[in-house]
Amino acid sequence: MIEKYRDLWLHRELLWNMTVKELKVKYKRSVLGFVWSFMTPMIMLAVFSLVFTFLAKNQDMHWFVVYLMCGLLPWLFFVNSLMQSVGSVVANAGLVKKVYFPREILPIAAVGANIFHFVMQMLVFFVFLLIIQWHFSIYILLFPLVLLLEIVLALGMSLFVAAANVYLRDVQHFVEVATMAWFWLTPIVYTMATFRNMFSSHPQMAGVFTRIYLLNPMTNIALMWQYIIYNPHRYGPSAAYISLWGIAYTTVGSFLLLFAAYYYFTRSERGFAEQI
Amino acid sequence: MDYAVEINDVSKMFKLYHENVRSLKEKVLLFRKRGYERFWALEDINIKVEPGETLGIIGANGSGKSTLLKCITKILYPTTGKIITNGSIAALLELGAGFQPDLTGRENIYLNASILGFSRKEVDKKFDQIVAFSELDRFIDNHVRNYSSGMHIRLGFAIAINVEPDILLIDEVLSVGDEAFQRKCLERIEEIQEAGKTIIFVTHNVEVTKEICSNVVMLDHGHIIKSGNPRDVVNYYHQVMETTEESSERGSRQIEITGVTLFNEADEPASDFETGQSMKIKVGYRTSEPVTDPVFGFSIDDYRGFTAYGTNTMLKEMELGTVDGEGFVQFNLKSLPMLGGRYLVSVAVHSRDERTVYHWLERHVAFNMHSDINDAGMLYVPTEVEIS
Repeated sequence: MIEKYRDLWLHRELLWNMTVKELKVKYKRSVLGFVWSFMTPMIMLAVFSLVFTFLAKNQDMHWFVVYLMCGLLPWLFFVNSLMQSVGSVVANAGLVKKVYFPREILPIAAVGANIFHFVMQMLVFFVFLLIIQWHFSIYILLFPLVLLLEIVLALGMSLFVAAANVYLRDVQHFVEVATMAWFWLTPIVYTMATFRNMFSSHPQMAGVFTRIYLLNPMTNIALMWQYIIYNPHRYGPSAAYISLWGIAYTTVGSFLLLFAAYYYFTRSERGFAEQI
Repeated sequence: MDYAVEINDVSKMFKLYHENVRSLKEKVLLFRKRGYERFWALEDINIKVEPGETLGIIGANGSGKSTLLKCITKILYPTTGKIITNGSIAALLELGAGFQPDLTGRENIYLNASILGFSRKEVDKKFDQIVAFSELDRFIDNHVRNYSSGMHIRLGFAIAINVEPDILLIDEVLSVGDEAFQRKCLERIEEIQEAGKTIIFVTHNVEVTKEICSNVVMLDHGHIIKSGNPRDVVNYYHQVMETTEESSERGSRQIEITGVTLFNEADEPASDFETGQSMKIKVGYRTSEPVTDPVFGFSIDDYRGFTAYGTNTMLKEMELGTVDGEGFVQFNLKSLPMLGGRYLVSVAVHSRDERTVYHWLERHVAFNMHSDINDAGMLYVPTEVEIS
């Protein structure tokens, strides 16, 4: 294993170049190019602002659109990383069959490119927040830590699905469907309060179901993003929910997943050239 | 001492599945039912390559050459055995593998070099050299998708061959590109050799191995069947190849050739001759009915099918009259001009108008030419040098 890490380190420049390539190729032959990275969140902000200000006004939450973006942008980062990595090894069959390099570079570069997009989108989002004179809480300083945690989770998942997809192409289709369901199991377009209100007539069940609900690591990550950016205590107390138990579980779980997935990847990568 | 590449007892097995099952449904339905055959592409291969050596690997299609090369580069992993390499490796398995059509030539040089394991700094130093070698200076900032296949190959080769790995692996790529470019590649390979780098070279063009390799290994069905100095191995290669495919016979058999024997100067049957010696080709025949005015002839070809020499009784303006029964025709070659190599004798008998072939033995008998003369070429022309 140590050898594998060293090999990856020796190829760090390739990792960087592959990440840059992902970014360059994405917008090559488009007139606006990198501007699209900014356009997506801007248009989302504009549309959601209109919808949630005039059509679906939420009574007890101010700036619901900000709450929504706090969960949606990190979710898109996560799901795009997954979707791009799952086929990354198979899509580069020509390369995998003809040249040696640490194959994990392919999914890692896919995640890397999405980190870049996410940071760009967050920049646009923060400019918007500054314009509307947002009151940030002190928790905003935790931004890098939350980002790191999400990257670890995304990397772990990506390495796992990318390797599994070489042996079983169903993984690609499964990820597509599963992430759609996963999205609705994560408090992004609704709040934790809405979820708990479902059990208002059976209070004794709320605790159990909340705990099960919090087993979803993306729930905890979304909650963290909302907590540190949206500043719920000021703008919408109903969104103020955080579970320390959930955070601890997500942190430990994500790192364990990353190590396990990397191990699984390196074990199965020996057969990649034969299987593709 | 440390070898550049050390291959110890390497075997590689492929599982040939009867059906390529890849979806979950099939996997569940056919659980444990999936049969496969074991196919050993390589068995017990032992090769040691010293630093600075140029090793050629030859063999027929499917002999395991490319599999071996892929094992050395860690694209494939041997089923058993171990391969130890010392130093950076660049492999020319497929030129331009990993070129991104939507990036420019310049961007692709950096990307491709880093795939081969070389840093931006190293490429910066070599950049002009790479571009000059590829002869693409006018197009280097164009998208690679607009390149022709030849330009693709030139750029791929230029990158791999100019980044200076410790070990360079080349698989059958010299056959691409025009002759001038091939020449240039060979010159560059010589430079790499002079710089003391190790090269492993897989090719069907076995004659090239004589030119550039210090050692050659011949593979057959995953085994090493011959290794050693290039000339010997290549000759052996030709012998094996010709017995497997090339000799043939045809004809109406009114006259049948019963035997062809080569005799040396001492009038002994032989298959080894020296340049300048004489040779007798004795052809025995038998007729099934009287034949009027047949023509006997022979030709001496090299393994490529080039005819070194050939003649027949008609060209010699002989008339044999009516032939009946058994007999011999003997051709006396006074002096063999061929330099070293392996040659094949074809013998034929046909009618004077060449419409009826009685019996034609194509590439029937083989012999080896040996020579102390180190001159180049196929034939020896006695030459004196005069300086004034």
